[in-house]
Amino acid sequence: MARTAADWDKTPPLPPTHYVDPRIYSDPAVFAEEQEKIFAKVWVIACHESEIPNANDYRTFAHPAGKNLLVVRGEDGKVRTFYNVCPHRGNTIVYNPAGNGKHITCIFHAWAFNTKGDCIDITREKQGYGDRLNKKDYGLREVRTAVGYGGMVWVTLDDAAGPLEEYIGHALDGMLKCLESEPLDIFHYHKAVVNTNFKFWHDTNSEFYHDYMHYHNRQTSMLLPTYWEREYVPFPNGHAQVGDQVVNYEAYEGFHSRELSFPGLPRNGWKMVDLFPNCTYNIRGSSLRLDTMTPLSPTRTVIEFRGLGLTRDTPAERSQRIRDYNSIWGPFGRNLHEDLLGVMGQGRAIGRGQTWILHGREEQHKIHDEVGMRHYYTEWTRRMGRSATESSRMTTARS
Amino acid sequence: MSVTSAAVVAIDREAIRELIYRICLLLDQNKFVEWLAHCTPDFRYTISAWSPEIRRDMIWLDHDLDGITNLMKMLPKHNSDQTPLTRHASVYTIDHHPERGEADVVTSVAIFATALDGGATELWALGRYHDTVSVADGVPRLRRRNVRLETRSLGIGKHWPL
Repeated sequence: MARTAADWDKTPPLPPTHYVDPRIYSDPAVFAEEQEKIFAKVWVIACHESEIPNANDYRTFAHPAGKNLLVVRGEDGKVRTFYNVCPHRGNTIVYNPAGNGKHITCIFHAWAFNTKGDCIDITREKQGYGDRLNKKDYGLREVRTAVGYGGMVWVTLDDAAGPLEEYIGHALDGMLKCLESEPLDIFHYHKAVVNTNFKFWHDTNSEFYHDYMHYHNRQTSMLLPTYWEREYVPFPNGHAQVGDQVVNYEAYEGFHSRELSFPGLPRNGWKMVDLFPNCTYNIRGSSLRLDTMTPLSPTRTVIEFRGLGLTRDTPAERSQRIRDYNSIWGPFGRNLHEDLLGVMGQGRAIGRGQTWILHGREEQHKIHDEVGMRHYYTEWTRRMGRSATESSRMTTARS
Repeated sequence: MSVTSAAVVAIDREAIRELIYRICLLLDQNKFVEWLAHCTPDFRYTISAWSPEIRRDMIWLDHDLDGITNLMKMLPKHNSDQTPLTRHASVYTIDHHPERGEADVVTSVAIFATALDGGATELWALGRYHDTVSVADGVPRLRRRNVRLETRSLGIGKHWPL
C-alpha cells in the first residue's frame, strides 16, 4: 500500500549495512571527503599503455582527486606521470589530450622540461634569479605510476601508498590470463558526462539485478541456467568479482555468436571485476571494456569508456571486435545507453524524495544478490570514517 | 558535356538534395522504415569519429540494410531515451559520377535535442553526412551513409540512427 510521510521516512527493516542515506550521492561535504580520503589515496587508472606507445608520447588525465596530470613515455621507455602544471606561474603545460614531444615546454614563459620531469631550461634564468633559484630544483611534481593488469597505467597521488599489487590483491586473478597473456591495444574511447553521482555508476556495475532493464541481457543471459549460478566474490580493499558466464548472443534477433575471444576466455565468455573506487574491467566475448569514473561534483560525473582488443589482431579481426563491442557498449549500443539512462534517472531523482537507497538483496551471493554494493560501501565506510547510513555529519537536509 | 546531359545532371543534383533533406525529416520523426525505403539493398550505415585522445579513428556503428533494419525493429523492446532529435542540414557538395551512376554528397548536420519536459533545446551533436547516392535508375537512393561526428561527448548516447 502507498505510504504516509512518517512511514516513508522509517528505516528499512534491514541491517544498516543493507541501505544507505541518499545524501552520500549528493552532499558536497561527502564529495569533498571522498576526494581527500579516497581518491587522493588509492591507485586509479589514467590510461592504457597503447595510448602512449612511443617514446615522448603523452596523455593528459584529469585525476578524480582534482589534479590535472600528464602521463609521458620517456625515451627510456618508462611511463611517468606528473602534475600538468608549470611550477612557475601555474599554467597548464600540455593542452592537447594526447601527442608527442621530446621536450615539454610551457607556452607561457617557455620553461622547458624533459620526459623525466627535470626542468631543463628557465628562460633568462641567471638574469632573473641569479643564484636564488636553480632549474634543478624546479622539476615537475612526479606522481607514482605503475603499468599492469592488461597494460593499464595506474597512478596514485599518495607517495606513502602501498604498491599497486598490494592494492589489487587477488581481485583480478580470474582475469589475468585474458589480460596478461599478450599485449592489448585500445580501439575505442569515449566519455559520457552525466548528471549523476559517480557511485551510482559503480553501483550499476556491481549488481546484476538491473538486467531486467536490458532486453539484450534478458534474452542472451538470463534465460540460461548458468546465469543464476554466477556468484559474487568479494576481495579486500572493496573489490569484487562477478562469476563467469558463457552468453548466448544468438538469442538476440540479428546478433551473432562471437567469433573471436581473449586468451583464457571461452567463446562467448564473460568475466567482470569491479575495483574500488571507480573502475570496472568487463570482458565479453571479443573485447575488453574498461570503465573509469571521474566525479566533477557530487551530482556530475565523467565516465570514460575504453575498448581493447589484442595488439596482434589482423585488420579483419579488429573490425569484428569493434562491431561486437559497439553492438552493446558503444554510444549507440543496446546496453550502455540503457545503463546510462538508469543512472541519469537516479541523478535526476536524488535529493528529491528518496529517503533510503536499498542494497539489501541476499541470494547466497548469487547474481541478483547485492553483496557487491554492500562490499563497496564497507570499504567506503572504512576509508571515510563515517557510515553510509549514518547521516548526522552530512551538510544537506534530508529531502 | 552536352546540353542534354548537363540538364540531366542538374535534375539529379536537385533530386539528390531533396533526398537528403527528406531523409532528415523522416529521421526527425523517427520514421525509420520510411527512411530505409530510400536506401538501396546494399546500403551500408556507419557512425564514425576521430579520437584525439587515443589518436585513432573509431567506428561506433556499422550495419548493412538488414542490420540497421533489425536494430530499428527491436527498438520497442528496449528502454530508450525518447528526447526528440532535430536535424539541421546543409548540403555542401555533390560530386556527380555518371559513369558509376552515383554521386558523393557531403552534408553538414547539426543535431538538436529538445527536452520532452519544458521543450528546452540544446545542440546535441555536430557532424557531416558523407553519403553515396545511387542515381542509376533515375530515382536517387542512399547507398552509403557515414555519419562523421565532430561531437564525441553524447551524454547517455542514443538507440536511434543519426
